[in-house]
Amino acid sequence: MAMMNAELKPRSSLIFSSSPSQSHATPLPHFGPRLGEVNVQRQEGAARIAIKTPGMMTATSRGVVPHLSRDHVRLTRAICWVHVPFETFLEHNPPLPITQPGPRPLHQFLGFSPADHVLSVSARDPFDGRDMPANNKDYVATYCIRGVRKLTPEVWAQYDAACNPDIITALSDTPFTSAPHSNKRTHKSLERSTAWLANLLHSVAARRREVGSDGEPLTGSLSNVLVHMAGGAVVQARKAFAEGLMEDLEEFKAVNPSPYRRLDDGVAGYVFDLVPLRAALSARSKAADEDLGDDADTLKPRGAINTLTPTSSADTSAMDPAALSEVLRASLQPLPTHKPRLVNSARSPHEMLRLVRDVGIDLFDAHWAQRAADIGVALDFAFPVALGDTQPVDARVAGSPRTKVRPGEKMDLGHNLYSGDYAHDHSRLAANFLDGRSHAQQTAEGSPDARPVCPCGACSPRSPGTHILHSALDRTSWEGQAGADTLEPPFMRSYVHHLLHTHEMSAHSLLVMHNLSVLDAFFVGIRSVLEHAGTEEFNRQVDLFLETYDEEMVLFDEAKVDWVQVEMARGKGRLAREKIKQAESSLGTSVDV
Amino acid sequence: MEFEVLAKCPITRARVSRMKLPHGITMLPTFMPVATQAAIKGLTAHQVEALGITLILNNTYHLNLRPGTKILRDVGGAHRFQGWRHNLLTDSGGFQLVSLNKFTQITEEGALFASPFTGEPTMLTPEESISIQHAIGSDIMMQLDDVVHTLTVGPRVGEAMWRTIRWLDRCIDFHENSGRKNSQSLFAIVQGGIDPELRDQCLDEMVKRKDRVAGYAIGGLSGGEEKDTFWRIIKQCADKLPEDRPRYSMGIGFAEDLLVCVALGVDMADCVFPTRTARFGVALTFNGPLNIRLKKHATDLRPIDETCTCPTCTSGTSRAMLHHIVTLETAGAHALTQHNIVFQARVMGGARDAIMNGTFPTYLKTFFANYFGDTGYPEWCVNALRSVGVDLLEDRPHTKIIAGDATKWEYSDAA
Ligand SMILES: [Zn+2]
Ligand SMILES: [Zn+2]
Repeated sequence: MAMMNAELKPRSSLIFSSSPSQSHATPLPHFGPRLGEVNVQRQEGAARIAIKTPGMMTATSRGVVPHLSRDHVRLTRAICWVHVPFETFLEHNPPLPITQPGPRPLHQFLGFSPADHVLSVSARDPFDGRDMPANNKDYVATYCIRGVRKLTPEVWAQYDAACNPDIITALSDTPFTSAPHSNKRTHKSLERSTAWLANLLHSVAARRREVGSDGEPLTGSLSNVLVHMAGGAVVQARKAFAEGLMEDLEEFKAVNPSPYRRLDDGVAGYVFDLVPLRAALSARSKAADEDLGDDADTLKPRGAINTLTPTSSADTSAMDPAALSEVLRASLQPLPTHKPRLVNSARSPHEMLRLVRDVGIDLFDAHWAQRAADIGVALDFAFPVALGDTQPVDARVAGSPRTKVRPGEKMDLGHNLYSGDYAHDHSRLAANFLDGRSHAQQTAEGSPDARPVCPCGACSPRSPGTHILHSALDRTSWEGQAGADTLEPPFMRSYVHHLLHTHEMSAHSLLVMHNLSVLDAFFVGIRSVLEHAGTEEFNRQVDLFLETYDEEMVLFDEAKVDWVQVEMARGKGRLAREKIKQAESSLGTSVDV
Repeated sequence: MEFEVLAKCPITRARVSRMKLPHGITMLPTFMPVATQAAIKGLTAHQVEALGITLILNNTYHLNLRPGTKILRDVGGAHRFQGWRHNLLTDSGGFQLVSLNKFTQITEEGALFASPFTGEPTMLTPEESISIQHAIGSDIMMQLDDVVHTLTVGPRVGEAMWRTIRWLDRCIDFHENSGRKNSQSLFAIVQGGIDPELRDQCLDEMVKRKDRVAGYAIGGLSGGEEKDTFWRIIKQCADKLPEDRPRYSMGIGFAEDLLVCVALGVDMADCVFPTRTARFGVALTFNGPLNIRLKKHATDLRPIDETCTCPTCTSGTSRAMLHHIVTLETAGAHALTQHNIVFQARVMGGARDAIMNGTFPTYLKTFFANYFGDTGYPEWCVNALRSVGVDLLEDRPHTKIIAGDATKWEYSDAA
């Protein structure tokens, strides 16, 4: 059969296109910076959620954005695409989100707004690279607080159908056993990942054939399927996996009637999890080709995902950026260019910029920025690098001191607010951004500052527009009060410093809102340079950024040391609780009781 | 401060008043959430305001240690430091000195303690306490009192009570000479332990100083005394305190305690209980507290309380979701903290409406029926409310009565 019946093909609710500002004649480049837009439109005629790319996704732990109450999530405009690792829900059978009634059970259960938030799910936390029992041909080993759970592709498809996320990543056989992996193991990994993707696509297609009570197809309840690009550090294997997605499915049709000509036709985008990839690359660069085989896959004691101590800098700088780009490009080479490419666990804005420039990655998770908030770091950087940032300035002149400059002349990406330096620093969190209130005042005075505003709940807090009334008399309290829903002064570094040292969880709430907003602004900057100045200028700005900001992230090591010291000062029980939390989840801190 | 009584319950001693302070109007009776270290656990000041809260409490002892008065003065006070636009009350630091420092010595000069930072001997005098509270800039300040443990007996209780009166005079003098009399109001603290005679003497002395203090707190209680003693002392104090001054009962937070105190004539109360219990996974409701950690909530898709106006319930957060995150994610603690603060405010807001409408006795009966109906009424509540003319058992003579403290709890099944 030459062509499939077009009507059978599920209509995708996720549309990726080159940015509307660019001519439609311009195809998206294969490798190199791309401007685009992800549109999620669940029903014909419904409002779209548009996410401009390069852009970001917010990471979650146990289904929540760590440290943020639901009102703070709504307040943080940077939060739009939210990624939910599903494995924590496997501690219950059936998992709780699938028991939630309604058209969008996952949104409903987790409290995200269908009008504002795009939800994607993956089986595993992409940041969790700890050793796991081996997968086999029928299941992936996942981890929840009660231990290891086996997840089959059939069950994964059922969960998808029942909880109806916007986007789902097909199960992938990524080995979380000691690297390096044998050729045999790598080959199996490709085979299984391909079969599991096919399985999920069939399930989605089958649901497409079901119709609602009105006789219309249930397009509103179809998840878009992402595929994790398998093959580890082996360039040939990565290529082979991608080529497999493009092969005609003719031969399978007899057993498994497929609505797709090729698997790729059912795929909405490509995912790269950098944590296992880094492990594989570093094993490749170290080791000789030892054939360990599957028998060597044994369960090792699980260490912490996060350590309470600084990561050795040898570890962080070991990886060659060119090697990473090479393996990502190997996967993308055989594939069409018009689908979004997602990267999880990029560990610095430097790495993100290189991946935008060298590979053409479209979306990054914000794990790094969120983790910074856990350890007391307020991000303060911008792309393009602000004029004057490379010259020494009198810190006090700008009203908000800049980040530290390290001996190598490189600037910190943020402020370690644990440091005593901030006890008397009463300025807003970031020098690169104005607070909303100063901006409004300066604009009113006719002397606007060129710097952008950080719209976060820490830098641009607003007085509430409404108050809960608890008695008929309560209006009296609010009527006399000037300024409902007006801009309030920003929270100060000295206040967050105080909160960190007194174990007040509000410190992290403020920092998460801020750091997500700074990362969002970073992507706005990338898009703006690409749109208005072109690729050449973008490349020049990337070089300048890489030269200006410290990628070793000494700052983060210092913050971790201070964090642990403050925890220890609080006593053994406190430190023990924190250690448990850090072992269970790749984001967040323990509840201070 | 402007203080005006708007309505009185025709049966009990409860009243509704309007208290105007530099940072706005607070309607009484009210419950004050506690922001010990200049933050209500996990929330921002704007979130607390949105919950309909107009008055919170900061702890002087803690803010003096961190961030310290220099920083507070530099930024223009604790309001600006924490971003709080409404009314703020501070304690004097005396209670924490005694409860957190074992080796505090009380002399006539003040309280001598070892600095938790340097170990050096440090003196907190009444003047110093007011000076710190000036740096904080609270709308209501408390005098430094000589705190003894509630269960202390013998001459030390009388000594502490008389010293508290002398220290009140020193606080008043210092405050009046500071030039801040119009921007900050000073409250006296009635002491005297659980000895009615000492309480009477203290009340007499403090009422004499009425023109120089803006309000009165009832101190030295909720430290392990019998509930039967507790309410009698509260009643004795509330009865004798002047009509035209607000009355503040320190360290009271259980809903039944709050309503009994309101019926006895108390206007304000504070406690860490609702926010602390939230972090341990307990949601307060009109049908009694729910321990969200229990397995029975793990698959329950209902919100904590369908009628609740808090952000947690109105956004449809289910008990199952809360069970999934509570005690593991800080966001779970925040969700319950928001709910519990709103619960306390609803209990007190409902009391204000009922007093205005002349239906407060009915409000009390309904509350107790819902809250304790299935487990039994605490005897002390029945007795306390009878003393102000409300018989909780009037229409339900067969209600089970529980002697002792009878706090209603859902205990953990070690889920
Ligand atoms: Zn900000
Ligand atoms: Zn609620």
